[in-house]
Amino acid sequence: MADRFRGVPFVAKRLLGAALVLLVLATVLYALFYLVPGDPAQLACGERCSPAQVAQVRGQLGLDESAHAQYLHFLQGLFAGRDYSSGTSVQHCAAPCLGLSRQNDQQVTTLILAGLPATASLAFGAMVVWLTLGVGTGLLSALRRGGATERVLTVLTLAGTGTPVFILGLLLMMAVCAYLQWLPFPSYVPLTQDAEQWAWNMLLPWLTLGLFESAKYARLTRSSTLEVLAEDHIRTFRAYGVSERAVVTRHALRGALPPVIALSAIDLGSMMGGAMLTEQLFGIPGLGRLLIDSVRSVDLPVVVGVVLVIGTAVVVANAVADVLYALADRRVVLS
Amino acid sequence: MRDRRLLFQRAAVTTVALVLLGGLAACSGPQDGDAKPAAGDAKPAKGGKLTVLNSDTQSDFDPARLYTSGGGNVPSLVFRTLTTRNREAGEAGTEVVPDLATDLGTPSENATVWTYTLKKGLKFEDGSPITSADVKYGVERSFAAELSGGAPYLRDWLIGGDSYQGPYKSGKGKKTLDSIETPDQRTIVFRLKKSVGDFPYLATQTQFTPVPRAQDTGTKYEEHPVSSGPYKVVRNTNDGERLQLERNPHWSEKLDDQRKAYPDTVDVRSGLDSAVINQRLSTSSGDDANAVTTDTNLGPAELAQIGQDKSLKARVGVGHFGYTNYLAFNPDVKPFDKPGVRQAISYAIGRSSVINAVGGSSLAEPATTFLPDQKAFGYTPYDHFPAGKNGNPEKAREALKKAGYKNGLTITLTHSTEEGEMGPKVASAIQQSLAKAGITVKLKGLEGNAYNEKRWDADGSPGLFITRWGADWPAGYPFLAPIFDGRQIVKDGANFNNAKLDDPAVNKEFDEISGLTDLDAAAKRWGALDSRIGEQALTVPLYHPVYQRLVGKNIRNVVISDWTGVLDISQVAVK
Amino acid sequence: MTVQDVLTPGAGAPPAPGPAAGARGVWRRLRGRPSAVVSGAVLAVLLLAALAAPLLTALSGQDPYTYHDELVDSASGGAPQGSFGGMSGEHWLGVEPGTGRDLFARLVHGARVSLLVAAGATVLQVAIGVAVGLAAALGSRWADQVLSRVTDVMVALPMLVLAIALTTVVSDDFPRPLLLVLVMGSLNWGGTSRVVRAQALTLRGLDFVAAARLGGSRPVRVVRRELLPSLAAPVITYAAVLLPSNIVLEASLSFLGIGVRPPTPSWGQMLSTATTWFRADPLYVLLPSALLFVTVLAFTVLGDAVRTALDPREAGRLRVGTRKEKTRG
Repeated sequence: MADRFRGVPFVAKRLLGAALVLLVLATVLYALFYLVPGDPAQLACGERCSPAQVAQVRGQLGLDESAHAQYLHFLQGLFAGRDYSSGTSVQHCAAPCLGLSRQNDQQVTTLILAGLPATASLAFGAMVVWLTLGVGTGLLSALRRGGATERVLTVLTLAGTGTPVFILGLLLMMAVCAYLQWLPFPSYVPLTQDAEQWAWNMLLPWLTLGLFESAKYARLTRSSTLEVLAEDHIRTFRAYGVSERAVVTRHALRGALPPVIALSAIDLGSMMGGAMLTEQLFGIPGLGRLLIDSVRSVDLPVVVGVVLVIGTAVVVANAVADVLYALADRRVVLS
Repeated sequence: MRDRRLLFQRAAVTTVALVLLGGLAACSGPQDGDAKPAAGDAKPAKGGKLTVLNSDTQSDFDPARLYTSGGGNVPSLVFRTLTTRNREAGEAGTEVVPDLATDLGTPSENATVWTYTLKKGLKFEDGSPITSADVKYGVERSFAAELSGGAPYLRDWLIGGDSYQGPYKSGKGKKTLDSIETPDQRTIVFRLKKSVGDFPYLATQTQFTPVPRAQDTGTKYEEHPVSSGPYKVVRNTNDGERLQLERNPHWSEKLDDQRKAYPDTVDVRSGLDSAVINQRLSTSSGDDANAVTTDTNLGPAELAQIGQDKSLKARVGVGHFGYTNYLAFNPDVKPFDKPGVRQAISYAIGRSSVINAVGGSSLAEPATTFLPDQKAFGYTPYDHFPAGKNGNPEKAREALKKAGYKNGLTITLTHSTEEGEMGPKVASAIQQSLAKAGITVKLKGLEGNAYNEKRWDADGSPGLFITRWGADWPAGYPFLAPIFDGRQIVKDGANFNNAKLDDPAVNKEFDEISGLTDLDAAAKRWGALDSRIGEQALTVPLYHPVYQRLVGKNIRNVVISDWTGVLDISQVAVK
Repeated sequence: MTVQDVLTPGAGAPPAPGPAAGARGVWRRLRGRPSAVVSGAVLAVLLLAALAAPLLTALSGQDPYTYHDELVDSASGGAPQGSFGGMSGEHWLGVEPGTGRDLFARLVHGARVSLLVAAGATVLQVAIGVAVGLAAALGSRWADQVLSRVTDVMVALPMLVLAIALTTVVSDDFPRPLLLVLVMGSLNWGGTSRVVRAQALTLRGLDFVAAARLGGSRPVRVVRRELLPSLAAPVITYAAVLLPSNIVLEASLSFLGIGVRPPTPSWGQMLSTATTWFRADPLYVLLPSALLFVTVLAFTVLGDAVRTALDPREAGRLRVGTRKEKTRG
């Protein structure tokens, strides 16, 4: 039991290391996108800007400074905030300031916050689907080993892992919206605006992403359940005549769930960056779409900002997963 | 102008999810049983809520920053300008008419001075009067670097415009532009460097919108610009992702004979996938029955799907916007310096396969002239190098032989890697039609932004590439001058005169025609000039695009002018 | 040990009992599994078709690039003339809307690109993964710390993001398929490296390795003679998981418009232009989808079979849940 209490310093160490890694990542991205073809000043100014105007905009965006100075300003904004001219007045961007979008002068933090609800809607809804479907399938196939049911389920989960998410979504849309016409073609409605419409419109994206992910969960649940069922204490329970149902629900499941929970935490974390393909396919205005759009328009501050947020989410999710996992399963030692 | 879609290309390209398209016909079936012909038997009436479903966000909703043709669609609901486009269908819609001003302006001193008088009783949304000083301030702030984005004409034409940096502290030099005078509250005078007959057209752009100085908040102004039009902004969410408009009580119908403003409220939703938009319009359920789009065309697959469905077809509006997609040469690159080579390519081009690659004959019409085929531009039909539908390889070979390439030649065609008008499919179509004439074409694809930069690069533009040009207003000057006027060759910026044509005779003609205030007479001469330049085969016109757009099933009074090619949102009624 | 270790297939696996079981035994076990035989056969057909693409298309008298304007209906958006997407004696699977290019030719030529890129990326991923994993396991503690943290980041970060970034930065002249191989290979080696590190750590403590070291063999020799053969099984197993995921990744990148450059066909690139047509010309969408699906499924099934064949003890289950062993670190 003493192991658990090593969790806190462990997590602290992890987070510190992660912060460093993220900083390095931001730097690398900054450098990388500095090399992307396309003059951001010209792009921001518009096609018909005169050279003089482009130069003016370049100054406005701080692009006339050296790469080194720009990077220092970026860091300064991140830790201390910075000011931008808005023409008539000065616009303050409080720390952690990720800068202004070059496309539309919006603060990157604002853009990210605007994309977050859609991304979160997608991720959490999909999680419900994959937990239900994945764990259910996994358990079923673990308990009916060797039967026809197992084979069918195994093939299904394999098919799930094998299908690219955009094909899955496409086929679902073809079937459900076009041929059967059970649902309208999805278009995102914010939860705050109309909860019912939100749910209806998110149903297909949830199903798509959930189905896609559930294959992984089915396999995980199945193997860890089998693992637990093979362990000594379960054999003992059985020998003592505990009913099979009780063995499974009370003991085997309890043992099999920790990795599932841990994996869910990690997946949720990485989905905060947007399940890019799903968002793209269904036109969900989340972080993934924001990222793809900003990469295309060489909107460096937004790209770096979104990747930083994704990176943070992933790192935090991993740490959380480690802790959850350790709490749920005493056998794991954190180090 | 510019490629109007350029800034939004990324949005268009990313729409991988064009996906949805499909259900069009399916959904149109049963539920459209009572489909009434959309475009207006019943008299349009006031009231109701109009929904606009768009793919590009209405970002930078600031009159200084918008780049519009004729004041734009949604913007013109909020921003009135000195003049505006005539809100009538077809050719009549290419005329310019007064808006805030009492007339199209009075030219003097050989059309270098333009004087406008504002109508009496004009008011902003807060009830305060609109004065000539507000118009002047609106123009001035469009020079600020913070608010860049508009068309270049003001900078090029106004005296001192090239060095003026706007009224804000951040700009260097004087804070006011002296070449705009406001002798009294209703009069405004513009002093230009040269004679400009087209000034009334320019005055339709949103930079001529009055902006009250006291309420200017710089880059924040776009969140709530002060309305002079029939609607005011209630909420602007996420930089134009959603724009909610309601009636501006201080707008007077009597002082605005152009905007009908039937609906009570307008809700502009954007950031939607183009396929979703078309799907929703075709299904027309709930609010979508009262919906239109101001930026989304029907694509090839959607047209194929609509097919013979009459009730849906009745809801499709077809329009023409002055636009030409063409092949550009850079004669500095060999062998395009030889007119014979350029002529051979002109002869060899197979326009029908190019057109099929962009969606077929209902989305594009073959072009043999650089000017769009509309009277307002001064369209004069010509076909100096007849290629027919599929190219004329014999004539092409002949031209090649004369130019000294008996055994054919190998050239490189540069294109964008993004699917679309300048994309790989069009490039391959060109490659294959030229192959028939013994011209081997190597394709070089560039990523979207890099391609655009290359297209406009004065020194390094490729020898042969696919490009396009659209109208800032329906007249010859903005269509021809940036491409063929030698003085508009830009050294270290975006250059559109790819052929680097700097012919004194042509330049002189530009000066003469652009000074004419008789626009009909000017149009005729633009047409003649186009034909004359066309003889040099500096471009190979490919096609003029056609816009096909759906509207929701309750939409009435669909007016599509040849100025914009799309329905005019100020005329639409939902009741 | 972290959750990521647990979740990497094979990472926490028990050591293989000495050097891997003989290739002949594996082959025999594979042949005994119908799923392996079927998926193997499917893949063999696909590979053959891809290899023989020029031959096959010559047989049908078509190539993947020629436009056939006469086969599409220009007035209705360029949809193929005739039913079933324009299928005919000349065009076995119909033609592409808008251009009239032969779909059969594009599919078999597309298979070449898709499979080649995926295979190349897998090889690179395995190579980098093995190198980093071994270095971490056998190097100093400090090196292990650094390499493991780097691996953590590589595993955790969404690959697509970095792949998009990298592909935009590189010059347009760089050969695209090679670029895809390099980008995918250099970003997705984290899993392999973990598996290798874990295996190498356990192997290091085993008698036969220790004996070799004590016997005075140089480290390089130990790695080559003792470690690598024992690593073969888990690495092959892991590569079998990687390959289909690389096929999907290539398709996804192409789907997002940053894969191979048109007019070169690949399945993902065909899909990205096909999606709009699923009502007007469903075959155009379904053909590449189905091929991609079947290929990935076959690889996955075969990979699963190879996994169990290599380690009969683990038959029918995934290593994922094996948590009893504690690994160092």
